[in-house]
Amino acid sequence: MSFFGFDTRKPAVTGAGFSQARDPFAGLSEQVDDGEALEFEDTYDGLGDQLDETDDVFNDDTFGDTSGITAAPVGKDFDFFGQTAKVANAIDEEHVRFNRQAPVARAAQPNIQPSAAASLAQVPVTTPSSYNYASASQKPARTGYEKYNQEPVAELQVDAALWGVAPKKQQPTQPAEVSAPTAAPSRKFMSVEEVEAQMRAQAKKPVQQAVPSPAPQLQPQTQSQPAFHYDQAYQYAQPTSLGPIPPEHARLGDQPVHPGQGHPIAILQRPHSKHATPPQHVPQPHAAPPVHPRQQPASHVPPTQILQNPNRLSGDATRIVNQPHGAPPVLPGHPGFPGHRPQGSFSRQPHLMGQTSQLPQMSEEEKAAFMEQEAKRAKRNHKIYLMSRDNGIMTPQDKNFVTRIQLQQLVAATGNPNEHGTDESLAEDFYYQVHSQIQGGQRQHPSQPLNNFAQTYLFQTGSRLGGPRRHNRGPENHMQRMEQQVQRAVEAAKNKPKNKQLVIEGSLGKISFSNAKTPKPLLNIKRNETAGEVHRPSSAHKHIQAPTGRDRKTELRSIEVVYSTLMEMEDHDRTMPPPPANDDDAEGRDRHIAWNMAAQELNKKLWKALRVHDEQANGGVHPFIALLSYSKGKKAMERIFRHTTTEQRATILTLIVVNLDNLDVVRGAQVTTGEIQLNAAMRENVELFSVAVMPTLFNFLNELELDLVAGVLGLVCDRNLDMIAKSRIGASMLTMILSRAESIKREGGGSEDAWRAWDAQYTQLFNLLEPSLPHMFPGTVNTGDDMYVWQLLALIGIGASAEQQQRLVLAVKDRVMDTVTLSKTLPRDLAHHRLGNVNLFMHSIGLDVELLQ
Amino acid sequence: MLFFSFFKTLIDHDVTVELKNDIQIRGILKSVDQYLNIKLEDISVVDELKYPHLSAVKNIFIRGSVVRYVHLPAAAVDIPLLEDATRREAANQAGKAK
Repeated sequence: MSFFGFDTRKPAVTGAGFSQARDPFAGLSEQVDDGEALEFEDTYDGLGDQLDETDDVFNDDTFGDTSGITAAPVGKDFDFFGQTAKVANAIDEEHVRFNRQAPVARAAQPNIQPSAAASLAQVPVTTPSSYNYASASQKPARTGYEKYNQEPVAELQVDAALWGVAPKKQQPTQPAEVSAPTAAPSRKFMSVEEVEAQMRAQAKKPVQQAVPSPAPQLQPQTQSQPAFHYDQAYQYAQPTSLGPIPPEHARLGDQPVHPGQGHPIAILQRPHSKHATPPQHVPQPHAAPPVHPRQQPASHVPPTQILQNPNRLSGDATRIVNQPHGAPPVLPGHPGFPGHRPQGSFSRQPHLMGQTSQLPQMSEEEKAAFMEQEAKRAKRNHKIYLMSRDNGIMTPQDKNFVTRIQLQQLVAATGNPNEHGTDESLAEDFYYQVHSQIQGGQRQHPSQPLNNFAQTYLFQTGSRLGGPRRHNRGPENHMQRMEQQVQRAVEAAKNKPKNKQLVIEGSLGKISFSNAKTPKPLLNIKRNETAGEVHRPSSAHKHIQAPTGRDRKTELRSIEVVYSTLMEMEDHDRTMPPPPANDDDAEGRDRHIAWNMAAQELNKKLWKALRVHDEQANGGVHPFIALLSYSKGKKAMERIFRHTTTEQRATILTLIVVNLDNLDVVRGAQVTTGEIQLNAAMRENVELFSVAVMPTLFNFLNELELDLVAGVLGLVCDRNLDMIAKSRIGASMLTMILSRAESIKREGGGSEDAWRAWDAQYTQLFNLLEPSLPHMFPGTVNTGDDMYVWQLLALIGIGASAEQQQRLVLAVKDRVMDTVTLSKTLPRDLAHHRLGNVNLFMHSIGLDVELLQ
Repeated sequence: MLFFSFFKTLIDHDVTVELKNDIQIRGILKSVDQYLNIKLEDISVVDELKYPHLSAVKNIFIRGSVVRYVHLPAAAVDIPLLEDATRREAANQAGKAK
């Protein structure tokens, strides 16, 4: 909108001193803007063209420096004060002269006033804030900035030059010209169309002369210049003692149609801001004409806008009050336009009016007191104005609309409390709902069925990245329990040392000496063997891990089916009806039956998806085991077990045990006597398996009876036990089975037959396992991380007979001695840890590493 | 809605938002809406020397369309749950498509 970029400059304009000088000009510029918006061409009456420019020569007299004037309008800084300063002396003189000749000088003012009024009227619309600031800053004008107050005149003139109309000395023609534009403003408030129509109609008969009225307001002396005013105006004016009043009345009389609109007031107020300018105008009363073009734009301002920003008017009023000259004139006029003011400012008006009208008669003290009061009032009003600056910008409908939007967003963000936990919100917002359940964030509905989901994921052990909560449960828990079991078994064995054979003790010691001297040759020989063995399975494993594209796809797809079935089942669990209260509750029973049927259907579907009973492809891997080779297959294990029957679980366990040496985590994760060579992916796989699958199996195994455990052990013995023992998962599996048997033994469970069967199985296992015992340890002795082997050894040792224990010791004595030797070089904590591991085993056979040192 | 649902759980966590203009802003996620507009508090720009103009800014509202990445706090993500949520989302979408 703004040609000149005034908007950006406005803050500066509002400053004191200079700003005051510039302020009126800014207003004028706004006018220009408005004219633009309203299509200046349409509303411009061509008055500017009629201006007599023949006397432009006198511009020098007016401005003191022609070049400066011409430059000013072009530049953006508009350094009028600077220009004026050059002729400061002259201005001072003029000022003095003005003070003396005030009556005369002001008489000349009227011409200028209209323009000022117009600019004021404009300002509210386009630049509310800037103008108000200006007005606020102008209050202190009485306190010594009079000089600056006078500057605006110069600006006004310069502004005229801006328009290129350099309009001096056109007084004779002005009155007529002025009248037309001024009349326009009032008309235009009706609406643009109306205004145009009226303009066309009335332009030719410029009867209403609102123009002169602003001028009279400034000074009582305006009356002395009847030439400008119409008879009507005078008729109104004369009855009152104050000069300013008449002009306004004149307006009322002239344009009775428009009193309801705020515009007249705005126009009236404007002069006051300008009112200080007269001194400079004195020499050039002709400044007015150039302004006229601008007045027209001003007149177009829609009344509503003015009404919506009533505070601006009040601001003006306050300013006016502070200015001795301007105040009295304006205030009287207000009563004529009661409707123009917002209630706040309006209520104040009558009061002011009453007092101000008496102002002239007051004593100095009274005046001072009154002015002080008014200043306070003005201050307060200004504050109110600042706060309510944007009052009325939004209609109630707007507010409602915004409120609706906000509510909608609120509902979208937090979820409708009514549908919290319902299926829709679950479908759309599953992650958030369940997550917040788990985190305990939202407990408003403690009993809601979502808890099922929360349970599912809360105890899920598949994620290794899980937060602390998962570390406290699941796998850790399982490992701890297993370790505790081992520990307890070892403790028990230690407490009743069934085999206190000093021979073994002695032999251990002896052997250790010899071993300490020549440990290497033995190891070297064996290492070659193991190395050869290791390579083969790992290459075979590669095959498993990279199945053909088709296989992989179908396997992944069946895993997805498993998952979606699991989710269906979990959903189904959520809708489980309460068990029928009694036998009479037929409906409840029916519902329960129906639910069970559906559950069974789902269970069948899951079972089918698991492909447990699928035929094993020739030479290939069982489909279910293949599923287990994928990480998400492993992760599904726990959930599968939760939704299967005991028989199904037993089947799964059997299947896994039977295929133990086909598991990727067993085949591909064979330990070597060298440094651990597992790649990261396999390590992750093993880790995942031990975290996701093992606990599930362990929990299930702990519910099995001894005969079943013996059966499982028998299955293991049928497999490639060497391979199983040399993998972490395989060894853990053996540990699990043995520890279950030990705990059954401690509990006194198991029949005689079962125990006999178990012993037979155990002996077979021991015989098969013996050659592998020394090679079960991962890496060298330096590697550490062999705790699980010691656990297995401990459990083997507990169950072993004296003779078996002897063989056991012989098999692993190297590792024992190496570890003991190594631990002497390790930091205390680490050494303690390593020796503790060894002691697990040593205690199981009634020994202690202390004996070796 | 999956992403919206997901990001809602990250509220009050420290995240790093990488914008399409390469600026990375780290801050506490304060709110997110269905457009994935993001409100961050207590922000700091990762490469502050390069983008000094943001050093005085403490809170920021990021239009979702200008976000390239959001670096997540791994500990705050429930992976299995997210996996299932993704499956559900996929099922939902498939259901809607039909």
